[in-house]
Amino acid sequence: MFLALKEMRRAWVRFGLLIAAIGLLVFLILFQQALQSGLVTSFVGAIRNQSAPVLVYSVDGQRVLQGSVISPDLEQVVRATPDIADIGYIGQGTFTVIAADEPADAAIIGYEREGVGSPRDLTAGRLPEQPGEAVASEADADDGFDVGDTIMVEPGGLELSVVGLAPDAQLSVTPTLFVGYDTYLAAVAARNPGGGDPLPNALAVVPAGSTTPAELAAAINAGSDDLDALTRQQAADESPGVAQVRQSFQIIFVLYGLVVPLVTGLFFLIITIQKAGSLTLLRAIGAPARRLVNALLVQVLIIVGLGLVLGTALYYPLTLFDATSLSLRFDIGVVLGWSALLVALGLASSLLAARRVLAIDPVEASTGAGVGR
Amino acid sequence: MKLALRELRRRPGRFVTATVILTLVAVLVMFLGGLLDGLIRGSTGALRAQDADVIVYSEAARTTFVRSRIDAETRAAVDDIPGVARTGGIGIVQLGARVPGNGPRDLAATALFGYELAPSGIPETPGPSAVYADDVLRADGVEVGMEILLGPARSPVTVIGFVTDVSYSGQGSLWAEPGTWRAVMAANRPDVRLPDDSFQALVVQAADGVDVDRLTTEIDDALAGRVESLSVTEAIDAIPGVRQQRSTFNQIIGVTIVIAAVVVALFFALLTVERLALYGVLKALGARSRTLFAGLVAQAVVVTTAASIVAGGAAFGIDALIPAGSIPLDISARRVIVSAALLLVAAVVGCGFSLRRVLRVDPAAAIGTSS
Repeated sequence: MFLALKEMRRAWVRFGLLIAAIGLLVFLILFQQALQSGLVTSFVGAIRNQSAPVLVYSVDGQRVLQGSVISPDLEQVVRATPDIADIGYIGQGTFTVIAADEPADAAIIGYEREGVGSPRDLTAGRLPEQPGEAVASEADADDGFDVGDTIMVEPGGLELSVVGLAPDAQLSVTPTLFVGYDTYLAAVAARNPGGGDPLPNALAVVPAGSTTPAELAAAINAGSDDLDALTRQQAADESPGVAQVRQSFQIIFVLYGLVVPLVTGLFFLIITIQKAGSLTLLRAIGAPARRLVNALLVQVLIIVGLGLVLGTALYYPLTLFDATSLSLRFDIGVVLGWSALLVALGLASSLLAARRVLAIDPVEASTGAGVGR
Repeated sequence: MKLALRELRRRPGRFVTATVILTLVAVLVMFLGGLLDGLIRGSTGALRAQDADVIVYSEAARTTFVRSRIDAETRAAVDDIPGVARTGGIGIVQLGARVPGNGPRDLAATALFGYELAPSGIPETPGPSAVYADDVLRADGVEVGMEILLGPARSPVTVIGFVTDVSYSGQGSLWAEPGTWRAVMAANRPDVRLPDDSFQALVVQAADGVDVDRLTTEIDDALAGRVESLSVTEAIDAIPGVRQQRSTFNQIIGVTIVIAAVVVALFFALLTVERLALYGVLKALGARSRTLFAGLVAQAVVVTTAASIVAGGAAFGIDALIPAGSIPLDISARRVIVSAALLLVAAVVGCGFSLRRVLRVDPAAAIGTSS
């Protein structure tokens, strides 16, 4: 053990390079993991954190709120479905707004009643009670969407007062405002005075009694091929782009995850071969093989551990500042999960080097052979 | 140098693991680059194809088609600005398309454009209810001569040909004459319909010799508060997410290249330590440090080139295996070559770590040790 530490001190450049490589890989893995979570939350947070257990889109909307339109005929089909406790309109559009005296894009989501499409949680303030009031996505509070701020919808000049903040409530990576349905209609009319009254984009539905959201969604879908009823979770997970984002990142994670043990395994295999003579000599003077293998494993643990610390230390500051347009979170569970996986992979990768150490025949100290031969 | 290359030929086994690691890193770099290219290509094709210099949106639209409104009066004012050779109206509506033969819930995501000035690669405006289709829609079963139904109103349009690399916002585009676009939009999205003489935006061709940046400024000045004009390149960058995607992916690719450099540095540092005695003998025989280091660099270049070739093949393989319409991956020869070039630079830089050790080899000490 003592020798293992002394060797690392003496050959600090080599071990330092390995730590740097692992540290950079860990940094990239954590950064991209946070990027994936942030991206998905920013895409569909508003869907995931609205209160209706079932959302009904039109099939034509292809699971995009803004693209869906519920015609009166389709609405009748939904209303005729049994086991519905409550039902309400959802309207959504992307608008140009003035916030903190700067033009910005904002998604405005109109809902009829609390519990039927309203935000589920608030971190500040209250839900809208009057026309012209809005709950904003908490992530955008610093950009003029904080409680007490006034936001102007352009063109038209409709004013919205922010009265509450909802966590993880963005839609399509834009600031998002939950408003009463009439306020949403007013925003649409202000933007395009010549346009007709918009139909609702979706219906928010609450199941009655013991009916589960999945059962209700299936019953609604059975009513028409033009209806696409989804549970809240499905609506978030099956939103266009979300599955693509997850698939793309999974491939990236697998590749990065493979590089870490390969680099570690290669390094320790090479240095074991290079130390062949010394290791054989140590065995010849009585050092048990187990002690040499333990020293190797200690080195692997220290190297991978320091790499994890370095990678985490590089990543952590990014979660404190707005390094990207997404909010990156320091998720201790993710860090621990990746740490456990990478330590396990690192140890597994060193088995090849350990096998070589175990195969050393002390007698070969007198013949010149060793692990490298 | 010859000795180094001979070692590679005679003992390829000792370089295999490093090659495998570098191959993985190269696949990563190419995959990330391909993902970036695919995302950008799928979002920007329709704008890149515009045979124009400037795109004019209404002021409050924040450079998005859907929120932009250009009425006839504004268009006439743009037409009168010196340096404007020609203007064309353009508009878009994004709708699901029902394709014959597909299931009732299996819709193709489309973006129907109405256009006056034909973009590059797209013929002049077709007749009413006829459209040219983006060839990515072939994956959804769209064929020439097929009538597809757009939106909840099931507006029929007939595909009369395919065009390439004109996707918009990740959707396959359809290109129609303005009347068809207007009718489809009014039938399916009455809340965003426009008067007959209005478009969502204008594409502007500058007169010969006119500076495009100056023209955008002149248009904005002449119609202050009413329009925002951008060069086509600026308009592409202004598509939501394009700039952020490019910057984030390039940073990730950059750090991955640094990792490649560190891996090469690590591997060749270990090899150099192993060869110190040999280098001492070679120096004693008259070999210069420069020659020895060049041998290391040559080995790194060969290993990285081999890794890049295998990775390039793997990247094209992954691209071929991924079903159309799932991950927006676009692996091109250019991307593979650029990635390989970056990795080669990283490999040479990584070898630099071993330079100091090669320079410090003392031939006398080495001979002494040997003896």
